[in-house]
Formats: sequence, structure tokens, C-alpha cells
Amino acid sequence: MHAIILIWLLLAGPVWAAVGALRLPRQYHRRGLDSSQSSYVGTLAGLVAGPFALYYLWQKTPSLSRRAMVSLFIAALAELFIIFALFFPDNLCATNHTYVTQQVLNGLTIGTIYALMAIGLTLIYSIQGVVSFAHGQFYMVGGYASLFFLDAAAEDVGIELNPVWGIIVAGFVTMAIGILFERFFLRPMHTGQIERAREYAILITFGFGFFMEYTTLATIGPQPHRAGRFIQTASLRLEPLTVGDTPLLGRLIFQPNRLASGLIAVLLIAALVYFLQRTWTGRGLRAVSMDKQAAAVTGINPLGMNTLAFGIGTMLAGMSGAALVPIFDWVPWVGAAAATRSYVVVVLGGLGSVPGALLGGLVLGVVEALGSGCYPNPSKGASYIQAFGLVIFAVVLLLKPTGLFGRKL
Amino acid sequence: MSRQQQGMVLLAVISVILLILPQTNLLGNNYRVTLIRDGFFYAILASSWALLAGVSGQFSFGHMAFMAIGAYTAGILGRDGVAIIGLAGGEIHPLMTIIAGTIMAGFVGFIIGVLLLRLRAAYLALFTIAFSELIRIGLITEFQFTGGSNGLEFRPLFASTSARLDYYIMFVLLVVSLAVMYSLSNSRFGMFLRAIREDEEAAAAMGVDIVRYKVLIFVITSAIVGLAGGVFYHQVGIITPNSIVLLQMSLVIAYAVIGGMESLLGATVGAFVSRIVIELLREIPIGTTITIGDFSLGPTIEPGAWRFALFGLIMIITLRFARNGLLYAIIQWFSERHVAIEQTVSKRVTDPAPEEVAS
Repeated sequence: MHAIILIWLLLAGPVWAAVGALRLPRQYHRRGLDSSQSSYVGTLAGLVAGPFALYYLWQKTPSLSRRAMVSLFIAALAELFIIFALFFPDNLCATNHTYVTQQVLNGLTIGTIYALMAIGLTLIYSIQGVVSFAHGQFYMVGGYASLFFLDAAAEDVGIELNPVWGIIVAGFVTMAIGILFERFFLRPMHTGQIERAREYAILITFGFGFFMEYTTLATIGPQPHRAGRFIQTASLRLEPLTVGDTPLLGRLIFQPNRLASGLIAVLLIAALVYFLQRTWTGRGLRAVSMDKQAAAVTGINPLGMNTLAFGIGTMLAGMSGAALVPIFDWVPWVGAAAATRSYVVVVLGGLGSVPGALLGGLVLGVVEALGSGCYPNPSKGASYIQAFGLVIFAVVLLLKPTGLFGRKL
Repeated sequence: MSRQQQGMVLLAVISVILLILPQTNLLGNNYRVTLIRDGFFYAILASSWALLAGVSGQFSFGHMAFMAIGAYTAGILGRDGVAIIGLAGGEIHPLMTIIAGTIMAGFVGFIIGVLLLRLRAAYLALFTIAFSELIRIGLITEFQFTGGSNGLEFRPLFASTSARLDYYIMFVLLVVSLAVMYSLSNSRFGMFLRAIREDEEAAAAMGVDIVRYKVLIFVITSAIVGLAGGVFYHQVGIITPNSIVLLQMSLVIAYAVIGGMESLLGATVGAFVSRIVIELLREIPIGTTITIGDFSLGPTIEPGAWRFALFGLIMIITLRFARNGLLYAIIQWFSERHVAIEQTVSKRVTDPAPEEVAS
């Protein structure tokens, strides 16, 4: 019985998914309907219910609501989980739901920091139309700024400061670097001095990141550093959860240090949302991201907003670096992996969308935690931790290049 | 003689000098011969990247990953090929494995090209960085096949090998691949690529088959670097996943930008010279201990890192103030078509007239 289900799920599912992905858009197109989401829906429907769902879609070509897409997505996830559980019946993820819950919560904690960093990237993109390829290096510089500030305070002044103060300093330092860089290298682009500005933007940010990384390596060196902890208490143990007599959830364990950095990220994101929604400058930024010309007509200076957006974006990258420096060992090349994560997050959430980046960060955190925790070979799972995000990247690009909340490409 | 002919003569003279250089005593030891050979290798990488990014506008950061795919395929086939294919006795000649690696790199290039068809510059760059990292992580993790961080060893290309032979092989490879790329970029195909770079929609509207040419350019450049990688690492003898860290890609891009990424010759010469310069800079001992006040930053400072920072700086300065590379003026001098080129490069302004609203 199992074998039959397995063969159906493994062979038929992907085949029908491919059929749905390739053929359904044509049917929608032929009937003169909006075919933009049909490839995505066709894939999921083919994966979940094979020819039956595809036949229904083919005949009826219903309009595709967001709710339908979300429920299809959940069904596809459930199906993938069933395949996984049938294949690896002894795997912790298939047998121990406490472990899964623990992984999900850990993923959410770290995901808030991914989100914080990615919001910086997406904010820059939404105002400037530029993807900053130096984002990871700003993150790295933020970590070092915090580290050296805390070191200097401890050695020269003699005060052991909480790393939270380092986050503020790191924000200022990276914002200053970002604004200077924008002023000298990106502004000429917006005043029409540069040909083919999009390509220029990619290369100049990439080159600047490269420069920052190796300047740091040359002056600080490759040995790893780590800041003190946010909170000194031992790990937090939650009592097992029971309803009546039935045990619902086993013991969950949290590291207060990580929770604190997640909490800081949440507060910073809340502050940013307040700034964007409630202050005049924040509204100005959003106006520029919607329509430059119209914003200019109402008296907003687009050039100033460009600089501000880049400064805030780099500040967020630096702050997320400073929020993680008490948790991870800091070396000059930490930026590359962090940047890759933000790329995955912004593509998943849709380039230029702040809510998308928030959701994308959480999703990536959970996927990485579950992926590395559930991979059949644990040691390989840990080294493939980045690869899970890249799989999302490829799937999103194939099925829904606009991401969750993105505008049209 | 017209200027173009003068340029040809100059190129010919330089080629002849490069040909007889290893036979003289000017280079002294094998180290210098090897140094120049590395220059040829990086020239192939940078010029093919220039064809992909500069000429056709496809900003791939995964170029080194294709190189590694070619080299690793060749290396793994050379080690285990007999067992994989099931041949009894004997072993597969390195030339065959290199060809297999080339095909493999081209094939992966095809898949990536198809995958990325719909994507614009920024998305493409994002994806290829991620792809390159994925390949690197895979190479480290799947150590049973790839040797992991310890690297994969190669058999030498020929039974008897020398630094001079390697030098000539790489030189021939450079000349051949340049000839191929040059003829491509100066044909109708190259014109289509430039049209796609300048304006994809307009090119499509004029009847350029964008899908075909975008995929094709990915396949061609991937195959070229796959071939170069296979040959180069057979000469070096070992490849590690470190050969495709982002630094290596950054350096190739920096070389191409410094030389001029819109001209194959500019990128080639830029990479050749830069590579040799960056290796010679290694001998300048900066970075032992720096002391500022009572804040000492040493003595474990990375001695070689300042060279890379310097090249990063040169790259962004070049981009900002000499977009066409530092060799642009020289190449223009020997080119008769410079008037036409200046006229066809459209002035693109993404942000119309923002200066009027800036107060």
C-alpha cells in the first residue's frame, strides 16, 4: 500500500505539476483571462491532486483568488511532508512534534533578524530601484562597529556596556558610510550622468562591498571575534504542556541570548514601520517609492529621499549585524552568507515590499531551521543550511517571480 | 597603414614576444612562467565574462561556478571515470575528460540560461550569486565525490610536462577562445546581443529571437570557462572549493572592469596585466603590525588582503570615472569604428530630469 502511494506521489505528482505549470497558462491565455498566476496554481494543483484538479481547472478556468492559492500551497506542503514521513519514518521530524515545534520557534527567532536585514535591502530597492550588492558587507561592518565600540568602552573607559548600545552605534556608523557612498557613487546615476544605470548600480555596489570586505580583512584580520551576551541567564526551559492528562508538547528550551536579539529585531522593525507610516519623512519615502514624479510635484525632494533610503537601508543591515555579533563568531567574510539570505528573502517576499520582506524573513528562518534539523544526515544538514533558502529562491523564480507581495517585474 | 592595421601589427608583435619569452632567460625561473600562464587563464575568464556581461548585458556572478563545474567534472571522470563507465582496463585520457567537463559546463549553462530567461539584470545577478554559493557548499559537503575542502587531485595532462609546455597550452587556449568570442561578437549574433543589452523589448519587437540568443550566450561562455577550468586545473594538479569563493569572482569582475568590460580585448589585457600585478604586489610586505595609540591591530593581520582592497577601490573608481575601462582610449586609438560606436550607444537616463526638482 505504502509503495503504491509513494510511487504515485513521487512519479505522478511532479509530472502533473510540470504539465500544469506549462499547459494551464496557455488555456487561460486562450480564453482571454489573466494568466499571470496560472502557472503557479497549475503546478501546485498538479502536485496535489494530479489530473483531477488539472481537468477541473482546464474546463472551468476559475479566477484565482489569494485564498485558493494559499490553501493549495498548504496542501502541497502537507503532501511533501507525507512523502518525507513515508520515506524517512525514523526521522525526528516525522516522529517528534516537540522537536518540530522547537525548530519552528528557533527559526522564527532568527528569522526576525533576517527580516530586519532584508527590509533594509527592499527599502533601498523600492526607492532607488537598485539592489545593493554591498548589503552583506554593511552587515559585517555593523558587527565590527559594535564590537569595537564595546571593546573601547570596556578597555578605555572601563564600563562593560550591554551589546544593545553597540547596535545603536553600529546603526550610526553604517548609515554614515552608506550616505557617503550614495552621495558620491549612486547620486550621479539619478542625475543622469551615467549610461545604463542599472548595470552600473550592480557593479558599483558589488565593487564597494568587495572593497569594504578586504579593507576590513587587511586592517582587522581573519581571527574570529564575538561580543558579550545580551542576557547572562542560563537557557530558558518551558514546562511540558499538557491538556487534561494528554501530553500536548514536550519540554521546549530557548537561549535567552537569541530570544533577546530576536526581540530587538522586532522592536526595530516596529520602529521602522512607525516611521514609514506615521511621520512626514516616512510618508515621503513611501510616496517616492510609488511615484517619483508625483512625489516631486508635492514638494518632496527625490534625491534627498534616495540618500535617506540608502542610509536607512544600510543602517538596518548594520544593526542586524550588531544584533547577531553576540551570537555568532564574527569574521570579515560573514557578509556573503548573510547577503545571500537577504536576497532569498526579498525575492520570496517580492522586491520592494516591506511586508513581503518581513514575512519572507520569517519563512526563511523556519525553512532553514526545519531543513537543517530534518535533513536525513545531520552533519550534512548543518552544512546545507544555506542551500534550503536557495531552493526556495529557485522555486519562487520559476513559479512566481514577483514573490509574495511583489509588483509586476 | 591605417590605425586598425597598426593595431593588428602591435597585437601580432605582443603575441610573438609572448611566444618567445619562455625560451629566453628573461623570465628566469619557472615561477615567472607560471605567473604569466595564470595571467592567460584569468584573461580567458575575464574576457568571457565581458562577453556575457559587457556585450550582452547578462550580469552573471556565477561565472566561476561554471569554471568549477568544468574542472570538477573532468577531475572526477579522470579519477573514477573507468568505474563509472565500466571500461575494463586503461584509463580515460585527460583530453576526453576535459571535453566532457566542457560539455557539462555548457549543459548547466543551458539550464541556468533557460531558468533565468525572464529575469532582468538585478534578479539575474541575485540568482547567480546564490547559485555559485550553492555549488561551493555542495562541493564542500559532498566530499565523497569531490574531495571536500581538501580538494580534488588531477592527473597531469601529458606524461611529461613542464611549466613551459603549460604556458604554451594556455596561450593557445587564450588565442583560440578569443578568436571564437571575437568573431561571435562581431557577427550578426554579436549585434543581436548588443541589441538585447540596450533594450530587450525593442530588440524583440525588431524580430530578435531573445530567448535563443540569451540562452546561447550562457551556453557558449559557460563552455569556454569550463574548458579553461579543466585545462588549468590539470596543470595545477589540484582544485579546492576555495577556487570559487566570491573573492575569485570579484577579482575576475574587477579585472574585466578595469580593462573595459564592453571590449573583449580590453578585458583580456586588463585581466592579464592586473593578474600579474596583483601577484607581484604580494611581495610588498604591508600588514605586519599597526599600532594606533595603545590599540594594536596585529600581528596576525592578513598580509595579502590589502591588495584586494586596492583592486576593489580601483574598480569602483574606474566604474565611476572611466566607465569603459582604463584601456578604452588606447583601444579607441587603433579602432576605425569609434565614431559609429559612439553614435549607437544610446544615452539612457532612468530618472528623467530629476535635477529640475532638486532644489
